[in-house]
Amino acid sequence: MTAVSAPPAVTPLAVVGCGVVSPAGYGLAPLAEALRPGGALAGTDGPGVGDYPPRVIHAVPDFRIADHLGRKGTRYLDRLTSLALVACKQALEEVGAPETDQQRTRTGVVLATNTGSVSSHTSLLRQSYEGDKPYLLNPAEFPNTVMNCAAGQVAIRNKLKGLNATVAGGQAAALSAFRHARIAMSVGRADRLLVGGAEELNAPSAWAWQASGALGDQASLGEGCAVFVVEEPGERPALAHLLACEVGYHGGSASSAGDGRTISGGLAACITRALDRSGVRPEEVDTVALGATHHLGLQGSEEHGVRSALGRLPEPVRAGAVLGETYSAGGALQLAAVLALWQSGQGGTTALITSVGHDGNVGALVVRRP
Amino acid sequence: MPEPSERRVVITGLGAVSPVGIGVDVFTSAIREGRNGTAEIRSFDTTGFPSRRAGEVNDFEPSEILSVLRPDEWGRSALLAAAAARLAVRDSELDPAVLSGARSGSIIGTTSGESRVVQDLAEQWVVDGLKNLDPALVRQAPASQIANAVNSELGLTGDAQTIPTACSASNYALGYAYDMVRSGEADFMLAGGADAVNRLTHAGFYALGAMAEDLPRPFDANRSGILTGEGGAALLLEPLDHALARGAKIYAEVLGYAANCDAEHMVHPDAVSIAECIRAAHRKAGVAPEQIDYICAHGTGTPTNDATEVQAVREVFGDRMPPISSIKSMLGHTMGAASGFGAIACCMALQEGFLPPTANVQQVDPALGEGVDCVPGQGRAAKVEIVQNHGFAFGGNNVITILGRLA
Repeated sequence: MTAVSAPPAVTPLAVVGCGVVSPAGYGLAPLAEALRPGGALAGTDGPGVGDYPPRVIHAVPDFRIADHLGRKGTRYLDRLTSLALVACKQALEEVGAPETDQQRTRTGVVLATNTGSVSSHTSLLRQSYEGDKPYLLNPAEFPNTVMNCAAGQVAIRNKLKGLNATVAGGQAAALSAFRHARIAMSVGRADRLLVGGAEELNAPSAWAWQASGALGDQASLGEGCAVFVVEEPGERPALAHLLACEVGYHGGSASSAGDGRTISGGLAACITRALDRSGVRPEEVDTVALGATHHLGLQGSEEHGVRSALGRLPEPVRAGAVLGETYSAGGALQLAAVLALWQSGQGGTTALITSVGHDGNVGALVVRRP
Repeated sequence: MPEPSERRVVITGLGAVSPVGIGVDVFTSAIREGRNGTAEIRSFDTTGFPSRRAGEVNDFEPSEILSVLRPDEWGRSALLAAAAARLAVRDSELDPAVLSGARSGSIIGTTSGESRVVQDLAEQWVVDGLKNLDPALVRQAPASQIANAVNSELGLTGDAQTIPTACSASNYALGYAYDMVRSGEADFMLAGGADAVNRLTHAGFYALGAMAEDLPRPFDANRSGILTGEGGAALLLEPLDHALARGAKIYAEVLGYAANCDAEHMVHPDAVSIAECIRAAHRKAGVAPEQIDYICAHGTGTPTNDATEVQAVREVFGDRMPPISSIKSMLGHTMGAASGFGAIACCMALQEGFLPPTANVQQVDPALGEGVDCVPGQGRAAKVEIVQNHGFAFGGNNVITILGRLA
């Protein structure tokens, strides 16, 4: 007997609100401007302490959490959490925060991150190594080091008592978040979810990118957060419908021990599965938002994977070329870029968001304009 | 009645790489005996720390367990997870080719991710500056490498999902994996958790005033806190029909689970919200409170946690609280792996018919009220049909899974 079964068809999830904090500014409109030809953003200084490597940096300009949420209770919030809080505030302003106990219980959070706030983590580690006593850490900062800090703070600030998930999946982390949100909603775990990804700029991470050798010279480093409010399609006007979101792992020995697929082959299979489950034909896809921009080796693999699944490569949208590499937030900012184009009257009706990572994770999300 | 679904989901393989031993048989006999798994810390220099104990897995040799991964290419958390997953698959006697040929993946919880790798990178930073970070360590640092290691070891091309939701993460992973198998998103899933003992977690819990003076004594009148621990816990989830058809050993059926968020405070637990989570888990699993035979507590051994947890349980169960014990008394707090070890202990309680104990208890805290049976000392033989596994976390994440003997 085999356990192999056909995956069930999916029903759309409506995106009814979104919040975006990016190097382009706040919301979709400045992102659409930045994506226009000639809209390239100027580089900025790197936030936080320490020197950055010689690479263009795209920070969220003049970002101070107190400007958005006031001074009360924001003193010890780290940058990652702060970016997420502002994006979520914006997303909920559009649709209204939950008001009844029932709504609060049925509203949850799914946020992508791969390392949490590296600035918090490394700052406390340095306190431990360089302070008089290794255990004399600021206890108010310690909770920032857990990777679900941002999702927890979002829940506290907005009284969201439903499921509260943080997902890590390398470059494909944000697509993992969309996938988790889809599955959780399909089995009735929530009525409404805030789903997205967040990433902060800091010197240690910037140097880690440098050491990894993963990025080409043209790659800049960015940060930001994009969060989407999703629910079953209903009365509320939708910005987009999310269809199937598929992910796969084709790294290390999984490619040889498993089905022998390379990253591009794995991505192609993922796309085909996502289209099938969405009931979308390859030729219907008119927009592709790619993730691996200026990633050595990977950029070609991703394009090749898309081409082999669709039979062509539609003119790609590259959020990363404008905002810089945003890792955990990448897939969420790619979706934001597609929505930004749609809202500014550009683009078509059916988009594909893809991610591939050096670690072997791949993902594909199908999105329809309502 | 389990949650309405197309497929019932059972647990057919268990893998434990723990401070009280490696392999589910060794783990189970240690738990039954109430053996202490904590000792002087060996993995980092504890000079200057007032508390120097932790639950480390000192006899872990990754190469003795792993068939595929090269241990020098992965961080300790990843290796603990991959080893636990490999052990779970061996334990299940499922053909590894059937597993890797199906839509299979892993959902693995963690609190601190690759904390040991990040610690090594921080040491490089302090000594050599940021410009000289070791590229090999940088590649190992993302938390996502933990589930990636499981998929890589087992050749799985489905979801490789690390869930960094702190100390309830492996219960969340178990719930998510269950949803995937029962809804047909996946055929087989490995669920579990992994974390490594490290300097920052040790220092952080000390700074919070949550570290035990000598040993963790959950539910004891003189409990003072946790000791940090580490390990890898993995459970193989399989559709019931498939398990029956191949004549698999079935430890337990996953009857249901619930997850919610206090949305009140980052570190203080909330009894109202925990009670709500317990009730929701019962509803989802289709069970009534009087059917629960045992609660595997979050039971950290901090004064606040245990009082809050008992208060929440009392709110749901009234004066008929089932036995409630904490295996953290033996393992230390294994963080992201903790509720995974809890789930394994629950499976073995169902399988062998015993109640896991709370070790190190001298006097049950009278302030917890009447009727707290924390199974002090050693395990106790008992008829166990349905159990409840608790996991709570920083960020206010509560996850409760309900497991039952296959009916």
